Amino acid sequence: MNMQLEGKVYPPYRLKPDRALAAKMLAGQGVAGVAAAVPPTYFLFLRGAAHGVDLFADLDIPREKALHAGQRYEWLAPIGWDDEVEVTARIASLAEKQGKGGKLWFADVEYEYRLLPARTLALREITRLVKRS
Amino acid sequence: MAPLKQGDVVFDVTRPGATREQLVLFSAGTEDPNPIHVDEAFAKRAGFPTVLQQGPMTTAHLGALLAERFGPRLASLDVTFTAPVFPGEALRLVGKVESAGPEIVLALSVHKPDGTQSARGTAAIRA
Repeated sequence: MNMQLEGKVYPPYRLKPDRALAAKMLAGQGVAGVAAAVPPTYFLFLRGAAHGVDLFADLDIPREKALHAGQRYEWLAPIGWDDEVEVTARIASLAEKQGKGGKLWFADVEYEYRLLPARTLALREITRLVKRS
Repeated sequence: MAPLKQGDVVFDVTRPGATREQLVLFSAGTEDPNPIHVDEAFAKRAGFPTVLQQGPMTTAHLGALLAERFGPRLASLDVTFTAPVFPGEALRLVGKVESAGPEIVLALSVHKPDGTQSARGTAAIRA
């Protein structure tokens, strides 16, 4: 894992919730129909890859060695279908540990979603990735 | 509705096991390019018996249940994935009040039919 990237802040990017993507998310969960409101976990780290935040490449986590350890969401203000948010991603912490089956590397990455144009903080997401040796 | 108190079960629901087609849809909907969720051969090379259900699907199930019950009072959700979930494995999701003060804290657990815990977590609800 590229441990020197701890603290890295990516350039902000913008997102608008997309009803078609939300519908696929819901269908994947086994829920038919359309979402009346933006699903609470619609915004997630994976959407950053199309905007230059490719954690797996940057942190050197090959997909076959990657595990997803967890997620945290903090909702501070509602985000509606017509809203646009500015997203800032920061590699909050990196750690190396010795597991039973070899070394493991842990990455906590924090995303802040700010409503435009006021840049009001609406959502904070932390994703926890693991690289297996 | 009576105020919640410690020990109250807020939800105890079972979601049917997801099909492989659902995993494909969820990956598309979350813009997840990881083949481990959709490519059997890739998943096996990575050391798993078959494709893995996405961790964020568990988070999405919990988020939906919490939002349905608490709406904008939902303040936070923290989920730790503790075991892989495979297609066809139903998930029992339980949310129980851990403490009820100025903010309500729920303890969350997710189990597979064989009793294995696949995730645990907490949620905070604004008063």
